[in-house]
Amino acid sequence: MARRRGKLLLKYIIINIVVWSIAIIWTLPFIGVAMTSVKPFSEVVVHGWWSFIGNYTLKNFIDAWSNPMYSVAIGYRNSFIVTIPATIAPLFIAALAAYVFSRFSFPLKTLLFIVLLVIMAMPQQMSVIPLFFMLNSMGLYDKLQGLILVHTAWGLAWMTFFLKNFFDALPREIEEAARVDGAGDAQIFFKIVLPMSMPAIASVAAIQFTWVWSDFFYALMFLVNPDNYVVTLQVASMKGQYHIDWGLLSAGSIMAMSVPLLLYALLQKYYVRGMVGWTLKG
Amino acid sequence: MVDVHLKGIVKRFGKTIAVNGIDLDIRDGEFIVLLGPSGCGKTTTLRIIAGLEKPDEGRVLFGDRDVTYLPPRERNVSMVFQSYAIWPHMKVYDNIAFPLKIKKFPKEEIDKRVKWAAELLQISELLDRYPHQLSGGQRQRVAVARAIVVEPDVLLMDEPLSNLDALLRVKMRSELKKLQRRIKVTTIYVTHDQVEAMTMGDRIAVMNKGKIQQVGRPDEIYLKPANVFVAGFVGTPQMNFFDATVEVKDDEIILDASDFKVRLPKDYLPVLQEYNGKTVIVGIRPEHIYPEGHAPTTAKKLSWIEGTVDFVEALGSDTILHLNTGSMILVVKISGSHHYEIGSKVKVALDLSNIHVFDKESQVSLLYKKQREVQSS
Repeated sequence: MARRRGKLLLKYIIINIVVWSIAIIWTLPFIGVAMTSVKPFSEVVVHGWWSFIGNYTLKNFIDAWSNPMYSVAIGYRNSFIVTIPATIAPLFIAALAAYVFSRFSFPLKTLLFIVLLVIMAMPQQMSVIPLFFMLNSMGLYDKLQGLILVHTAWGLAWMTFFLKNFFDALPREIEEAARVDGAGDAQIFFKIVLPMSMPAIASVAAIQFTWVWSDFFYALMFLVNPDNYVVTLQVASMKGQYHIDWGLLSAGSIMAMSVPLLLYALLQKYYVRGMVGWTLKG
Repeated sequence: MVDVHLKGIVKRFGKTIAVNGIDLDIRDGEFIVLLGPSGCGKTTTLRIIAGLEKPDEGRVLFGDRDVTYLPPRERNVSMVFQSYAIWPHMKVYDNIAFPLKIKKFPKEEIDKRVKWAAELLQISELLDRYPHQLSGGQRQRVAVARAIVVEPDVLLMDEPLSNLDALLRVKMRSELKKLQRRIKVTTIYVTHDQVEAMTMGDRIAVMNKGKIQQVGRPDEIYLKPANVFVAGFVGTPQMNFFDATVEVKDDEIILDASDFKVRLPKDYLPVLQEYNGKTVIVGIRPEHIYPEGHAPTTAKKLSWIEGTVDFVEALGSDTILHLNTGSMILVVKISGSHHYEIGSKVKVALDLSNIHVFDKESQVSLLYKKQREVQSS
């Protein structure tokens, strides 16, 4: 009995050491960025960010927000302009497409779905040159609308795939009950299926929002004018050629990442509800 | 309310025939139960009546109206699903009000009807709750309230009690039956539970392999089963079956079951005469076999045999004996609690007035067959 208890204790200690080690290694860069952002540049350079002594300031945040060359404020504005429609539009289209894939039969359904999977597997870099020519010919190069279009198209495939799998798992009886009660296809989709899919919708929205908000590659490829720079480009551009203000960069990074983090926190209740409340067993 | 007629309904799923030529007439205001094992086609039949499936052949009539190809919303039917299918994102009130809102009823009328249905199902205090805040029984009531709120012509129920615990199921059985009597809606109820069917149905349609085996009142189904399937499916413990050869000698009928012989009364002569020398299937229910001292005084035609006690199930209210007669096990049901030693010899009497004889090939009850022949002539 005592030997068994000793074994369990040892197991408990080892698991804790491993988990804590991974957690510390994982959070260390974030702590570093957070500390650097609230300490004056001179102290970071001299003492390093790990030193808790010294002064704390919000100056880096104020400077990053209203930097005359590359400001987080303008980046926020542009990022919101791109991210909100590039999340809502593909979400709406993908939800409709996913429902059709999940519930209806039509010619070439399997082929279309395979095309969708192929698009999902395609690396972004492969699409840059054709996209550049396309946006250029449409007059959308260096325009936020162009970036919205690219992200919308890019997000559609995986969102459709994700939501189709979710709809497949929804019990058909839930929809049939509405059909017997007199509801048509559109009413069933908007009044029953969509509200019941809130956990999936929230997940998809959060992932797509974060993806678009954090995107650097497409923004770098298709935006030229600093006035159009989204927040990731603005923060990256704060790094000078000869001088790097780590405090400014860290503050800009924290402000950039705070929006998706806030969104995750806001949508969390839907995930929880999805787990415990909305899935009713008979 | 309306009478429902199924005319030659056939439904195939690929190569599988789920429903194979069903004809059934359901009377206005009747509570009919479709009873059968899993995969017998009862739910498919119900879904065809609801309009959720289209039959490959045949017609569905509500009164004189052919609704075979009409969508569910044009049939004025309601359905209670096995999983209740209540919408988790809507409060109980909105769940019940949904069909009325879809049909664009005025707001006051919706409110009035929802409250009426909730009161009838005793869930008035739950209207403001979400389904996940309800117990299984309460959810079931919500599903029934939603079904009756539109005052449907036909109420369809697909095993609505199967997810409830045993005690609640018994309670809900009687409540559903009372509710149906009160609102007098034509009700088609699907179940695989024979007790549910026997206690709730005005009539029962027993189904197997996509076909209706017998339609009748619960007592008819139990006492005069049409074939071996119905006889075996209805009744717990199951009816005893054994093969026997018919011997007709000087107006006397003897069933030779190798271990024992049963001398049948002359009443069976018209039915069994043509089976002289042939093998038939004999069936007798466990409660129609009486150990010595347990035969009711009303039972006059008895045939005694002896067996060894193989197993005893003491249920408290009943005692189930498994008797080995040599080549078969006879199950005997005795009312009350009794003690029997395993391996002891017990004499039992077969109640010949409750014996069933089935054709070996077609498995049809010979009495039932004779009755049908008389009726058709």
